[in-house]
Amino acid sequence: MKKGYILKRLLRSVISIIIIMLVVFTLVFALVPRDNIFFEDATYRKLGGKPDEKTDYVYNTWQKLGYLDYVRINDYCLELYEAGSDEIKNALNPDSKETADFVALYESKGYTIGYYTVSKRAYAYKDVPLLQRLWKWFSNLVRVDTIYSVQDPNNPDLERKVYFGRTPTGGLALIGSGTYHKYLLYTDSHFPFIHQNFITLNMGESYPTYQGLEALSVMFSSQGTEVKRDVTYETGETGSSAINFGSLTYKENLDRMDKKKFTDHYANYTTFKDQSSMVGTSFTMGIFALLLAYGIGLPVGVAMARNKDGVIDKLGMLYIIFITSVPSLAYIYIFRYLGTTLFGLPSVFTTFGPSDIRSWILPIISLALPSISSLMLWIRRYVVDQMNSDYVKFAKAKGLSRKEIFRSHIFKNASIPIAHGIPSSLAGCITGAIITEAIYSVGGMGKMLPNAINQYNNTMIIALTFLFSTISVLSVLLGDIILTKVDPRISLTDKAGRS
Amino acid sequence: MMERIEDNLFEFAEFDERESEHIAAPRYSYWKSVWRTFIRSKVTVFLSIFVIALVAFALIQPMHSGYSPTVAPNINNSEMKYLPPSSEHLFGTDNIGNEVWDVVWAGARNSILVSFVSTAIIMVIGILVGAVWGFSKKMDKWMIEVYNVVSNVPYLLLAMILSYVLGAGLGSLIFVMVCIDWIYVAYFIRTQVMIIRDREYNLASKCLGTKTFTMIIKNILPYLVSVIVTYISREIPSLISYEVFLSYMGLGLGTNYASLGRTISQYKSFMTGYPHLFWIPVLVLAAIAISLYVVGQKLADATDPRTHR
Repeated sequence: MKKGYILKRLLRSVISIIIIMLVVFTLVFALVPRDNIFFEDATYRKLGGKPDEKTDYVYNTWQKLGYLDYVRINDYCLELYEAGSDEIKNALNPDSKETADFVALYESKGYTIGYYTVSKRAYAYKDVPLLQRLWKWFSNLVRVDTIYSVQDPNNPDLERKVYFGRTPTGGLALIGSGTYHKYLLYTDSHFPFIHQNFITLNMGESYPTYQGLEALSVMFSSQGTEVKRDVTYETGETGSSAINFGSLTYKENLDRMDKKKFTDHYANYTTFKDQSSMVGTSFTMGIFALLLAYGIGLPVGVAMARNKDGVIDKLGMLYIIFITSVPSLAYIYIFRYLGTTLFGLPSVFTTFGPSDIRSWILPIISLALPSISSLMLWIRRYVVDQMNSDYVKFAKAKGLSRKEIFRSHIFKNASIPIAHGIPSSLAGCITGAIITEAIYSVGGMGKMLPNAINQYNNTMIIALTFLFSTISVLSVLLGDIILTKVDPRISLTDKAGRS
Repeated sequence: MMERIEDNLFEFAEFDERESEHIAAPRYSYWKSVWRTFIRSKVTVFLSIFVIALVAFALIQPMHSGYSPTVAPNINNSEMKYLPPSSEHLFGTDNIGNEVWDVVWAGARNSILVSFVSTAIIMVIGILVGAVWGFSKKMDKWMIEVYNVVSNVPYLLLAMILSYVLGAGLGSLIFVMVCIDWIYVAYFIRTQVMIIRDREYNLASKCLGTKTFTMIIKNILPYLVSVIVTYISREIPSLISYEVFLSYMGLGLGTNYASLGRTISQYKSFMTGYPHLFWIPVLVLAAIAISLYVVGQKLADATDPRTHR
């Protein structure tokens, strides 16, 4: 019965996420003009004087981002003739027989034909329908690495096997060849010490900002300046580098430097940097803010309830009214001003950087302010309700002390609904605090979405929406489950859905 | 010496059958009681006059000043820049020689306008849908699923994406807020209607043959009024907050509209050099939001029939 319910809820959550993604895909890809994505692209601007290359670049980018399928006549002719031959030069002309064939073939497939401005050569493109894009996005989401993952026509002799070995830094590893990642499972000195690359999430490549990086690695890889150390490469070559050996992936075209360092085709890597990732920064900040909020909100709320209509209660209500009515932008600035003038704390995160504890104090306090207020309000409400209930009167009549009643009865009951909110608050830590991070210029998740939107980075918008809504959907479910664990009287099935 | 009481001092009262049927209960008018409870507190009366004056001033002053963020008449007049507040320039002037007084009120006007209009639309749609939703069990089955989906989306995320897609402007910002918020109001009203719908006095009323419409108007609405006003008193400041937030992020009203959020974001670089530039909009914003909230809460208290004496 209970298992069935949770399964049903999970299924419903998945459906919600799919619908959300459908809505966001429609919004972002159908309603925003697709030319907008080039506003922030430096390469596009450089191509200003070369209309043909510009067109080619534009259509290639659109194809890469999944807007459309794009075919040039060059690609078509290369299948017929050898590259560089005279036949191909003739075929590329707009009045050739091959061009006519090309146009006829792709028009019959539903493509639109266009001609480059200068060379008058033909190309064809066809929009990818929205649902198909959504399907493609979801089907590419989970990437399972197998020994057949890499299909490189220029490297037909690639071995396909998996074996045990060691990483250049000495960790144990399960090494793959023919796989996308070189080290499928490895150990090193970085948290969480054992890493896997069998199953990775793929949410597309970021564009136009963070070009060449995958959306997820933008969020999860470390930031700041590279931490260089002396390393010995596979070839025995030594040097100073910040390379993360565990991140090695297949690279099709090796350059001279790659060949010097690596014995095989696995030469793409990320580097170690000195600051935590965006997710890490937001999470650290959020966790401490949460601890602060519960540490202050709960006792003050209880004190307010115990002195109902007293001085503490009135002061507490004043604070709650202030926080709920004043826009967060205003009160964060006010508290920041107080913090900087009274205690000499830095006004932005970057003044001392993440290694200095002083940088963290004000952002964490700012982040905790609204949570403190809502916790105070709710715990006060619950405790007051419990204090007026019959069982408390009965306990009093039986001669239990005020303290005893409070500790072992009222607080226990009042904290049940508070426990329900913990997973959602934890989820909030990951998604970050947009305003706080913007005001203190913290490099966390909060600034990601506004930045992605202002820079027309659609891949990031989609990836962030997916991540945020998945986390929030699951945390609500988790909160409900915790509720039934804390209070066995509550049954989710009777209430149908949220409680 | 006592005076004699004569019989002719008395007369017979006429027996009126209608009067004998009359129940001697004090006349009760809901809205009159609301009004009486509301004006009972001097502080509330003072605050509401202040709020009305503030809102009226914010709506009228920009028409009079004709301030527009797209024109900067004093941009080349260095004598007009960075003037401190004085009797001539009440809030001083900013980096391009604009009167901060005009800038702030034009921004306040748009914030108030957006939040009032969206709150009105949201409440009308939300209450209508919520009332039907609360009464119809068939609809509830479907709507609760819709709500489950919508409420799972982070609110800000959708607001940001929608305003990115729809572009800048008063109309589209109001549309964004209505789009996102109506379902929460509808859900709230649905729950309230469901709670009150099955109370004993309504069952009794139904048994006595009261029509559904009369039941809604006479039995349910007076209870709902106070929760609706409470909701509105929280909704208006929170929508002001969202407008400010979105504009601060460069997403809400575009550069062609004055906005407190954008003003604050523009002036924040003068925080150390010319603190008045930064603090005036922040404090005006805080004053508007907090006074609207407090008056709304007082009004909500007054609309609760249980507070009526």
